[in-house]
Amino acid sequence: MPEQQTITLTVNGRVHTKDVATRTSLADFLRDQLHLTGTHLGCEHGVCGACTVTVDGRSARACLMLAVQADGREVVTIEGLKDPAGVWHPVQKAFFENFAIQCGFCTPGFFATAIELLGQNPDPTEAEIREYLSGNICRCSGYQAIVEAVRAAAAAMQDHQRG
Amino acid sequence: MSGTRFVNERMVGSSVLPEEAIPLVEGEARFLNDISFAGMFHVAFLRSQHAHARLARIDTSRARALPGVVTVLTGADLLGKVEPFTSMPNRFSGGQSTQHWLAVEKVRFCGEAICTVVAESRALAEDAIELIEVDYDPLPVVTNARDGERDGSPLVHDTCPNNYLIRRDYQSGDVDAAFANAHLVVKRRFQLGRKQALCMEGRGCVAAWRDGSFKLSMWMSHQLPYVVRHYLAKHLGLSETDIRVVAPQTGGGFGQKASIYPEEFVCAFLALQLRRPVKWVEDRLENMVASTHAREHDIEVALALDAEGHILALQSDIWTDVGAYSTYLWSAGMEPLQTGGLMPGPYQVKALRYTTRGVATNKTPVGPYRAVGRPSASASLELLLDQAAAELGIDPVEIRRRNIIPQSAMPFRNGNNLVHDHVGYMPCLDMALAKSGYPVLRKEQQAMLAKGKLRGIGVACFAELTGLGTSTAVGPGTLLQPGRDAVTLRLETSGKLTIAAALPSQGQRIATAMRQVAADELGIRLDDIACLTNDTGMAPYGFGTFASRTAVFGSGAVIQAAGELRRRILAVAAHIMQTPSEELMLADSVVETVDRTRSLPLRQLAEHSFFSAKDIPSEINQGFEVTAFYDPKHGSFAAGAHVVVVDVDEETGHVEIVRYVAAEDVGRIINPAVVEGQIIGGIAQGVGEALYEQLIYDENGQPRTVTLADYLVPSALEVPHIELHHANTPSGALGGFKGCGEGSIIGALAGISCAVADALRQRGGDIFHFPATPERVLRGLGVALDDAA
Ligand code: FES
Ligand code: FES
Repeated sequence: MPEQQTITLTVNGRVHTKDVATRTSLADFLRDQLHLTGTHLGCEHGVCGACTVTVDGRSARACLMLAVQADGREVVTIEGLKDPAGVWHPVQKAFFENFAIQCGFCTPGFFATAIELLGQNPDPTEAEIREYLSGNICRCSGYQAIVEAVRAAAAAMQDHQRG
Repeated sequence: MSGTRFVNERMVGSSVLPEEAIPLVEGEARFLNDISFAGMFHVAFLRSQHAHARLARIDTSRARALPGVVTVLTGADLLGKVEPFTSMPNRFSGGQSTQHWLAVEKVRFCGEAICTVVAESRALAEDAIELIEVDYDPLPVVTNARDGERDGSPLVHDTCPNNYLIRRDYQSGDVDAAFANAHLVVKRRFQLGRKQALCMEGRGCVAAWRDGSFKLSMWMSHQLPYVVRHYLAKHLGLSETDIRVVAPQTGGGFGQKASIYPEEFVCAFLALQLRRPVKWVEDRLENMVASTHAREHDIEVALALDAEGHILALQSDIWTDVGAYSTYLWSAGMEPLQTGGLMPGPYQVKALRYTTRGVATNKTPVGPYRAVGRPSASASLELLLDQAAAELGIDPVEIRRRNIIPQSAMPFRNGNNLVHDHVGYMPCLDMALAKSGYPVLRKEQQAMLAKGKLRGIGVACFAELTGLGTSTAVGPGTLLQPGRDAVTLRLETSGKLTIAAALPSQGQRIATAMRQVAADELGIRLDDIACLTNDTGMAPYGFGTFASRTAVFGSGAVIQAAGELRRRILAVAAHIMQTPSEELMLADSVVETVDRTRSLPLRQLAEHSFFSAKDIPSEINQGFEVTAFYDPKHGSFAAGAHVVVVDVDEETGHVEIVRYVAAEDVGRIINPAVVEGQIIGGIAQGVGEALYEQLIYDENGQPRTVTLADYLVPSALEVPHIELHHANTPSGALGGFKGCGEGSIIGALAGISCAVADALRQRGGDIFHFPATPERVLRGLGVALDDAA
């Protein structure tokens, strides 16, 4: 493999073409080359989930993925969750209003995972939420407020769909 | 102090949404690793592969030759230039350890920093680390406290005979007579493993040369910016006025970021020497070995009781494996002293004796972590109370009732010399029992047993001393006694209020809490109040955030400063409005006459007093900036009672928490949702402590748990839903506040431990070693296993 490669990818709706070292992780690429520091690194070995972002609609651990693997794909990070009018995603709003953020280091990963869950299962039970979020570690909250936030977000998104 | 003139007393007690969390919601918060400067170099550390060894040879030449490497330092390069860390002298016996920032001659634990590399990028610095050659001459290792204490054990420090970094023998009351005359004596052993605070963000710093008027500016993921500043000055030979320390957005602290470590100080040295900004960010593998560990107790405890189950005397023998160095500035005394001294908890213990030791081993140093010492102390006693109740044929709840300090006896001085007052132990127990339906739980337990299913119930009561002032040490017997913090209130010329304090938040929403208190005290709208908590360049002096103190100190100081600021505001208003100040009130950011016929918005008043001050006599116009120090003197006891129900799978040894009810007394609550987050978060860490988390070392002192795949942190599946109830008794501190950050982890370890033991007791088993891993549970049930666990 060459040491440098040029990649083109969409991040938060914007197309970027960049030279990257092939050993660069997607997380480091987002943080260092695109200055999107909202993606956090809690372990860099794929366990904590803090680095979770959305790639082509699915959650992905940005610490385990190489930037070159994101070539041609569409990435969404926490910085891209607001709608074009600047309104928070229902998951952002629910986390804020339910006090589901303490230190906030884990939060970006929980957002990506929760959004994926609600895309697949618009009305999850508490057990389903806990199961789905079990790959994300939060050391501060004890998860209860996070579970409540995901339920609140689900309700808000369903209301919104019903109009 | 709060007069009747202030009408909007409503912010304290309501779950105000935390404005300070908005940058976190939007991914724009600036954590340490998000800070960069032009020309910044990156730092990495070479760490010891051996637990105990002489450094025979260090060859850094290949690393130095790597393009992009700026410099490489070894311990020898720092000798004589900086002052190493020597643990504080303590009043008790035990030797002192000296910790060089980079190891000199010897390494004493796996992970100890030996060399540092500065390079143009972190990746380059790490590549250079690989090129350094170190020859080690391995030495015999000490890997546990009981062995390390024996005569003839290898010594971690030549200055510490029997490897004691601390030993204290304490006695009050006639313990021997109590045991001799007791109706019943019960004894047991309690062991708790070593654990990690596991902040999701590790430590780190950016050290910058000549930022503004400061020679050294440090952005550092830390809980105590002013303390760091003081020690940076002392160890680097600078003046404190040359240094600014800022704690940026911080991804968890839990005590792990309250100690002083070598790495950040090396970075400060490098910034000064290179005259360039340098950055070091700890990765997870480093964090697991280079940031302080916690706990690791081995306790033998005995209780003397009369025929009714009243405690006559409590005696304990405590070994804490404190690791290779006495943690800097807190000393090795934290865990050993608090475990012994605070063991009586909420119970009347007239006669108390303990011998407690902090034994040096070739492992990572142990430092402060959420509820230092108290979880093990509490679990030891609670398990023993259950054992005594079983022998006396009374219910576990009944024996607690007979020994709890009742409010009618307060103020009550206990055998450990602590005074209990303004705290409701019995109300917490009553509430936890009522809300859990305790008698029904016991019936269900029997019904399960009849079906061959093992269920256990644990009831644990705890006392938690918070908001410690100058009269009570954080670690009983340690010399460091922080007890006074300041807040500055400044009315800006726009009429907005700025609160400044050196009480950084790691997610506790301290700024929101202080804004709520200030809003009520001053009658200024919450939206008009900003709060800075993290910068020695702006804040008045303070010790920082630890030991469940911040809400108490911050709020107390706000209340004190607000009294004076309000007086000054109303004096100027009286002059402008030509009305006696007694006839004025301040509400919703407006000064009004009490008959509400005339008003003056604060904005106008503030502008006037600053920009058009000519017409206001200067003895009236004293400036709208007030700093007040607050010292709560004795501290306030918080309390709780937890009822925990677990099911134990006899095939696998797996423990599942099926019900968790907590009743807590955290005094007058400022922001209920924030408080609940603190309490539930503490319980979650207690779930890990009781059932999953342990740092394991092999017999050579090699750590076996260095990733999150090996070290099991509870996920949303392991932490149960917590039913939380409040049984609050206001404290004697200003505002009636108490701390709430740590207490719940005490009840969690004790409650879960008791529940597991209660389950095993149904089969004639028991458990003495925690966390209660499946192997230990199976052993406790009498299942013969291979020796692995
Ligand atoms: S940083 Fe990627 S999973 Fe932990
Ligand atoms: S909020 Fe701190 S780790 Fe989740």
